[in-house]
Order: sequence, then structure tokens, then C-alpha cells
Amino acid sequence: MSVKTLDVIRKRLEERPDELRRARENGLKVVGWVGYNVPEEIIHALGFIPVRIAVGGDDRLVEIGARYASSKTCVFIREIVGAFAENKDPYIQQTDILAFDATCLQNYRAAEVIEYFFKKDVVVLAVPRNFHLDEAKEYFAHEANEFTRLLEERAGAPLDSARLAESVALYNDIRKTLKSIYTFQASKNNVISWEEVYDLIQAGELLDKREYLSLLTQTLDELKERQHYPVIASDDGDSRIFLSGSLIPRGDRKLISIIKSVGGRIVGDDLWSGILPHLDLDIKEISPAGVALGYLNRTPHAALPYLDLESDRRLKKLQECLSQFKAQGVIYHTLRYCDPFTFKAKETKNVLAKSGIPLLEIHTEYAGSDYEAMKTRVEAFVEMIKIKSEIAEEQSVLVDA
Amino acid sequence: MGKQLFRYSEANKEKFLESDNITFNDGSTVSPEEIWHYLTEEAPVKYPSAFEVNLYQGNRGSRDETLPTSLKTRYLGLTFSARMEKAKDNGKSIAFIQGGQAVDPYTAADTIALRPGLVNQWNNGLEYGNDINKENLRRKKSKEKAFHDMSFEACQTGGYEHVQAGDLRIDVIAPYTVLRCSDISYGVEAHRHGPKKNVKLLNVDYPLRYQADKPWAIEYFAQNLRRLVNTLDEVTGRKTSEDDLLKAIKLHNTGRRLGTELAELWWSADVPPTNSDDRASMVSLGNLEVHGDVQASLSVLKEAKKFIAERVKNGVKGHAVADNPKRLFILGSCVGINGSRSEDAGAIVVGRDDQWSHCSSLVEEEGDPYYNLAKATLEYPYEQSIEKRAQWTIEQIKKSRADGVIFIHNWGCNTQAAISRPIVDIIKRETGIPTYIHERDLHGLRDEQEQNRVNAFVEML
Amino acid sequence: MSLSGNYFAGVDVGSLAAKSVILKDGDIFATGLVPSGVNSVESGLNALNIALESAGLKQEELTYIVGTGYGRVSAPYANKAVTEITCHAKGANYLHPTVRTIIDMGGQDCKAIRIDQDGAVVDFAMNDKCAAGTGRFLEVMAGVFKVELKDLGAIALSATDTVPMSSTCTVFAESETISLVARGEKPENILNGIHHSIANRIAGLFSRVGIESDVFFSGGVAKNSGMKNAIEQALKVTIVKPEIDPQLIGALGAAVIARNFAKKEGLWA
Ligand code: SF4
Ligand code: SF4
Repeated sequence: MSVKTLDVIRKRLEERPDELRRARENGLKVVGWVGYNVPEEIIHALGFIPVRIAVGGDDRLVEIGARYASSKTCVFIREIVGAFAENKDPYIQQTDILAFDATCLQNYRAAEVIEYFFKKDVVVLAVPRNFHLDEAKEYFAHEANEFTRLLEERAGAPLDSARLAESVALYNDIRKTLKSIYTFQASKNNVISWEEVYDLIQAGELLDKREYLSLLTQTLDELKERQHYPVIASDDGDSRIFLSGSLIPRGDRKLISIIKSVGGRIVGDDLWSGILPHLDLDIKEISPAGVALGYLNRTPHAALPYLDLESDRRLKKLQECLSQFKAQGVIYHTLRYCDPFTFKAKETKNVLAKSGIPLLEIHTEYAGSDYEAMKTRVEAFVEMIKIKSEIAEEQSVLVDA
Repeated sequence: MGKQLFRYSEANKEKFLESDNITFNDGSTVSPEEIWHYLTEEAPVKYPSAFEVNLYQGNRGSRDETLPTSLKTRYLGLTFSARMEKAKDNGKSIAFIQGGQAVDPYTAADTIALRPGLVNQWNNGLEYGNDINKENLRRKKSKEKAFHDMSFEACQTGGYEHVQAGDLRIDVIAPYTVLRCSDISYGVEAHRHGPKKNVKLLNVDYPLRYQADKPWAIEYFAQNLRRLVNTLDEVTGRKTSEDDLLKAIKLHNTGRRLGTELAELWWSADVPPTNSDDRASMVSLGNLEVHGDVQASLSVLKEAKKFIAERVKNGVKGHAVADNPKRLFILGSCVGINGSRSEDAGAIVVGRDDQWSHCSSLVEEEGDPYYNLAKATLEYPYEQSIEKRAQWTIEQIKKSRADGVIFIHNWGCNTQAAISRPIVDIIKRETGIPTYIHERDLHGLRDEQEQNRVNAFVEML
Repeated sequence: MSLSGNYFAGVDVGSLAAKSVILKDGDIFATGLVPSGVNSVESGLNALNIALESAGLKQEELTYIVGTGYGRVSAPYANKAVTEITCHAKGANYLHPTVRTIIDMGGQDCKAIRIDQDGAVVDFAMNDKCAAGTGRFLEVMAGVFKVELKDLGAIALSATDTVPMSSTCTVFAESETISLVARGEKPENILNGIHHSIANRIAGLFSRVGIESDVFFSGGVAKNSGMKNAIEQALKVTIVKPEIDPQLIGALGAAVIARNFAKKEGLWA
């Protein structure tokens, strides 16, 4: 299959930490952001280099993190805290300022803990829980201004509207291109896999944004050349799995590799470490509040409660994606102590059951000890989906017997 | 069932009968005679579990029988379920709320506000004749299902199972989404998939990060409070005015002041004038919400202050308190340690941050009551940044002359767990007082291991 | 000696026992059951050999072998590996086509499986990775009381009270049990409490997948009458009586699937 530009991207990622180091020597500042509603364009337009701090999959760091943030914090946050404690991650080493948001309370606590123990310069964007109400939007606009003010102080210059417009345009192009690329992975005779696109999305959290856009454009050109027009449909013997639930950051590939190893094919996701944050981001006004509200108005993160099931946009989006990518089953990934997603697992399952889509919840942490147990579940789920599609054939065997 | 039950001794009856009546919200009263009769005749039959002598469950064989308040808070606790049922029969509306918040707006809107512990208490009281084992089994069974309906990692289910099964007639679920609790807003959301569609839902959105210093955050929370009152009004069908809210604030300020004075009086004594549980049940009256009846709480609170003043003056030591006990201050989640067993180990609990943080936050009475209430609420010490919360806690620790500090975080209580170490660090650094962080195991068991650790900590002190 | 007919085998290597079933055409022909050792290949082969021996067959005479259980990944003797979830479904369906719900309690996990009329899985849930509600948990408890695992259920059934167990974590429950004994609670009442607490856990598991009659109880723990009783109470259902050792259901299902595969691959007509 191999798409050539992907190799270039991998190489560029290897070079990136050094590049950041040099940029900082030349007076630029790196802002590491952690969370789900951090308006990156504002950081970018202020002349900072934004990188997303999202690491996972390392049980050792989780252990270290637990010393600071207790063993009852979600594994993801524990690992982040552990990574700060250890200070060996090349991106963490290169951050000057940290930007957190309070979409998830655990993410917010991480900001406090990291600020306290590791004496980091932390800026926090508060996020309203009643995000859909007018008064909440007004409050959030104030918070976005405050967030910008705190960053301006650190940039030593005010935010320039023209530069913000440029950043927004750049990010819009990135999002648009990503979306186009994403459809290729779900197609019949695909030349790029979901796993590759997933890595590609996460590469964008670290690379220089302009360069990233041009790499994405090249990737898309390559895909178009090889596949012209992607048709989203099953290949023979596929069991088309959709991934949902808690984020799966770089470094954590346990579940993804298990799905592949038992013959499942991932064809889509609505993960906050995947395509979801890039969808439906509509910035209506070039201002800090305008950008931030664009973020908040996307499909809401599971940490933001919504009290009416019927009109819940998160579930609507999930259903829309399932039909768009012709998924046959959902694997719903919940990280240990990730309340936003664990609380919704059963409900999501029930909602999808009505349209005949099975859901398997996989509850896990970063230790390798549950690998076999996870594998059994995923394998049985994939078997179940396959048997479902082969049921007619199966039956004839049984009838004969 | 052959289990040994505690009985109040007739020897103290006379003194008890001299104490005051309890006056309730609806203007009715209950006399000490009636209370005595209830505690000695009716309740042991209805609720044997509450009288069962079982050291392991914190029920010792004796009580502070010469402290009338102790009997009265007991009475209010035991009649709680029946009183809630009666309130519902009389058309009163009941809201489910969060533990760390004041209830002024609910009082203003003529609604009883119950936090998770009280919802469970209501449900427990619906079944008569259970011993401790039976009661625990019953609770465990319904919880297990609720955990599956919500999340295994929920620290508590907030009575979800009872509300959704229709066992408890709760009209509205409208807590403050304070940071103290990682689960509350998801718990509210979970009700959207339950079968009971007529329960109203609202999250009263509590802003974060230096919230009390941000005028727009106070304004936003004030709008949330207005929305809350409107929602409660939709249920009751009445119209709550600003004046109603101001009245409620004044009433609750009275409670908060009394509660604070009582706590300070208690702290001022050379020897602890009551044991841990009696102290906690009296001080918590200050929020006036604990028994689902504001006036009843207030009337017992007023009297309590009088009794404690007397004991302090006469140097009376509380029942079952050791000589020179080690004084413990408890922090963290909304759960405590086993008072009587800790006393047996030579300790006493002299304070907690939970329930105290909002009791000590008075509301300004001049000006827009919504804004004032919002401002005071956003100033809850428990909800501040690590540094600020720690400083406030240190003050309380000093005032209470604590010898040791235990931070407990409950299973699933992520937002308290996460900052346990920093808070305790600061306390240790600035006071030099020994500290201990305790992680409570799944679903709040009070087990041997926990007591062992607490005892070891006390021995160390 | 060679017998006429087609033979299909299922081998289920679990954490506590290895099981095998041989089908002759459509009928159960022989079975084997041995405790699992550390080497799962060996355990599987041992179980298979016992069945082969009692059937008077050689391994080469088997048309198709399906491996299942956690040992399925290392089963060089098997033509294919299938998860125990799919196998339990097929096995229960083979015995009782009216079964729609299976409770499987094995050594290290506990499963709630819903199946359709063809024995295809429509939904399933498993306990989280801790040992609560599993054979291992009961084994630890048997150790605490120094009784045989197989006698636990009968002891629990003689209880006069139910002492609630707060902890479902094996390690904590063990020490909790010890302290309950120390404070004078009767062993049968504690054991009764343990069985009820596990049954409640299982009831919880079913709240995720739902329950529909008939209900089948498989796995090693299914032989425990106290557990069966507690589950019937907690789920308010009647469990159907198994014709064969309920511990063999996974292997039976694997054998049924072996036959299906053989047919599909044209090895048997
Ligand atoms: S959403 Fe889940 S994984 Fe992310 S910070 Fe919150 S609890 Fe952790
Ligand atoms: S223990 Fe913590 S998470 Fe649980 S109800 Fe109390 S405050 Fe909330």
C-alpha cells in the first residue's frame, strides 16, 4: 500500500524535537496544550509554536504519575503527570508554557498538579458545563478573552487580528484536507489504512502547521492519483469496526493492534485524539471569543453533560459517522477512571442497539497485563460480526447436520 | 434475630424531658416526651439496625445519653424517611443536590434539598425490621445494578436507582456541579436514559479557576441560580421572588453563624465536650439541610449551642472519649472515618473540611441576592486553587488544635484524589503536623484494613 | 482399530482446567477433563488424549479440531482457534436450542452471553479483569475456610443468615473474610454472603446485556449448587439442567464449530 508522503512525515517527526530546540534558541516559545477545547489558532497567531501534549501507553509513567496525582486519576492524566515528573519526553522538555482547558475536570486537576509540583507556567481556559446555553456562551467568551490576555502577557504583544485570520485560514485548510484524506481509509480497495491516517492526524499535533498542510496536500494528491475516487464500501470478509470512547494518544496502540491482530478492520473513529476535533469546526468571527466558540460548538466532548438524550449531538454525530463509514460494530474504549466516557458506555450501547449496531466496551489501562483478556473480548466481538454476516451460510451447515 | 440492641436508660429521661420541643417547617412540633417514646419504643422495632450493638459498623453499646441534642439528631435521622414521605404526600417538592453546597435557593423556592447521603437515608428508612446485615445486603443489591447502569467507577450513584425505580419521589435533580465532586454532573446526565422521564434535570454550572475573582464568573453563576429557581418554580407552580431568596439567605446565615459559633465553642474546650459523631451531627446542623427540614435543624441547633456551652464551662468530657485523645482533622471526599472505633483507639475527630467549607461562607445581605449568593458560593474554600484551599485548611487545623491530618479519598472520587498529595504536602510543610492519605476501597466499605491504618496513624501520633 | 464416521474435536484450555469433547458426526462421543498446568499446549493435549483414549481413536482420525479458551493461541494441534464466547454459545445451543442466555463462570472470568436461535452470539459482557465473581475467587475462599472447593456451595446452602461482603476484590475479600471469622460470624453465613455478593455482581453484568429464558449456567463454577441457587435468586430465573458436565460446554461448542468448519472447507459432506 505504502503512501510515500507518510515516510516523509515520519522522518520529519523524528527531526521535530531538535527543530523545536533550535527555534527556542532563536527566541520562539513553545506552548504545550492539554485538553479538548483549547483554541489552538489563538496560540498560533500569537507567534507561539503549539504542540499537543498527549502521551499514553506507558505503564511506568502512569505509576510515577500516581505518586503525584493519586492512583485514582484517569490513566491518561496519570501518564501525563508522570511524563512531566520524569521530564524525558522531547516535547515536554521543549515547552515553555502550558495551556490547559477545563472541559474535563481531571484535565483541570492535572493543570493544578503540574503547576504545583513541577512549577510550570500554566494557563487555563475554563469551560462551562452548560455549554449549550446562551449565558454559558457569554461566560465562555469572557474566558476566551481572559485566556488570550494571559497568553498575550507571555507573548509580550497583543493578538493581531490579521494574524488570527491567517491562522484560522491555515487551520481550516488543514481540517478540510484531513477530512478528505479520511474518507480514503474507509473505502473499498483502500491504499491507506485507518491506522496510517490516525498517525497522520497525530503528527499534525506536533509538526509546524504550514509544513503539515503541505504534507497533507501531498498525501491527498498521492491518494487521488492512486485511487481517484474513494467508494466507501466493504471488501470481502471485512468486519468494519468503529472506534469510540476515551482518547487513544500517541504511544498507546494496544487496542488498535489487538483489533488488527484478530482480523478486524477499523474504518472510522470519533476519538478526541482522532478525527472528531477536526470535524464541524465553524469559526464565525475572527476574535478570541469567535474562535473559542467555534471550538465549543463542535460535537461536544463527553465531559460536557447534556441532559436530553433525544437531541444529544454527540450521539447524533456517532450515528452519522457509523452510517457514513458503513461500520458494523463499535468498540468503545474506556480508560480506567475516565468518567466522561465510562458513564456513557451503557447508554451508547443501548442507543446503537436500536439500529442494530453492536457495541463492545473495552475498559483498560496502560498495563500490558490485560492484553489477553482484551484480545478474547475483541476477538469474540469480531467473530460475532463475521458470523452475523455469514449467518445464512452457517445456517445451511446446521440444517444439513 | 437475637442481635443485641442498645436501649436508652430511663435514668436520663427526666433531664431529657426538660429540653425543648422541635419545631418543623410546617409549624408542627414534637415534644421531648414524644421523642423519648419514639426512641425507646417505636424505633427499636422499626429500625433494629440503628440500635444493634455492632462495633464493626460503628454502633457501640452506649451513647452520650445526657446530651439531649444527641437524642434529637438521632430522632430526626430515624424519622427522616417517614417525614419525607409525609412531605411528599402533602405536595412538597423535593430536589436532589450535591453535598458541598448550601441550599438557600431551594429553601427560597419552598423545596426540600437532599444530598446523596440523605437520598440513601430516605430509601433505607422505607423498609422496617432490618438488622445491619439485611440492610447492607439490600443496599448492595440495588447499588450493584446502579453501578452497571451508570459506571463501575462512580463513587456513588446518588440514589439513581431509587429515583429511576420510582421508589423515591424526587421531582428534580439539580445540584451545583462543584469541582469537589468528579461524578455529579455525569450522575445527573445518567438520568436522561432512565425510565422516569418526568424528573426534571439541571446542572447548576459552577465555574472554575480563580472563579471568585472573576466578575463574569460570578455573573454566570448568578444566572445559573436564577435558572435553578425558575426550574424549582416550574415544579412547585409558585413564583419565588428576590425577597424570598433574601429571606432564605438571612435564615441560612443564621444557621451558618450558629454552626460556626458552635464549632468554635467546641474547639475552645480543653477536653472534647462530645465525641466525634455527636460533634459532626451538631456542627452539620449549621447548613440547616441535614434533616430535610430547615426549621427543625435550626431549633435543635439553637439548643445544642446552649448544651455545649454548659459542658465547656463545666469541663465535661464527651461520652466515650479517651483521656487526652489525639485530635484528628479529616479532609478530602465527602466520607469520614469510623468515629467510635477511632475513639476506642484513643483519637477524636475535631473537624472536617467537607460540610464545613460552605457552612463558614456567609452571604452578603445587602444588594442583589442572586449576585451575593453566587459570590459567596464561588468563594467556598473547598473549591479554591490548591494553595488557597490548603491555606484555609491550615487555619481550620490550627483553630481545632489538631494533632494529625487524614486526607481520605473515596473510591472513584477523582477530583479529590488528584490533589490529595499537594494539599497534604502544603499542610505538612507549613504546620509540621503528621498527615496520612487514605484511599478508600470500592463502594465505601468501612473495613478492617481502613481501621487498622487509622489506628496505626493514631498510635504514631 | 479404526471406527467409521467423522470425528470432530473441541479443546478448551482454561486457567483451572483443560477440557475436550469429541463429536462423532453429530453426537457426543467422548470427553476429557484435566487440571491445567503451566504449559497450555500440554494441558490441551492431555485433555484431548483422554477423550481419544476413551473413544479408542488416534488424533489423525479427527477430521477437524478447534481450540478455544485462553490456551487457544498456542494450540498447534488445532486447525482453528475460536474464542470461548462463541464456543459456549454453540455448545449451549447444541444441548438446548431454546437457550437464549448463558452465564459462564470459569476460573478467571465470568461471562454473560446472549444468543439467538442458531446459537450465534448477539451480545456479551465479561467481568472486568479482577477475579471477583470467578472460580479463582471461590477457590481462595475455600482456602480461607480450609474446605474443598466442591463443598462450598452446600455449606452456603446451610446458612441461617447472610453476612454481607463489602469487598469484591479477591485480596481484600480474603482479609475481610478472616476478620469476619475473627469477630465470630459463622462460616456458612459468610459463605452465603460471598455467594450472594457474586450473584449480585453477575446480575449487574446482565443489566448490560439483558436476560431472556432459557438460561444456561456453564463453566466449572456451575457445579456449585450454592452459586446456582444464589444466581437464580438474584436474576429471578430458573436455570436449565445440563445433560453433561457444565464445565465441558466450551469444548463441546468448539467441537460443533469444528464440524461446521470441516463442512465449509469441504472436508466433510
Ligand atoms: S476525558 Fe477521560 S481520558 Fe480525558 S482527561 Fe478526562 S478522564 Fe482523562
Ligand atoms: S466522594 Fe467525591 S466524587 Fe463521590 S460524591 Fe463525594 S465528592 Fe463526589
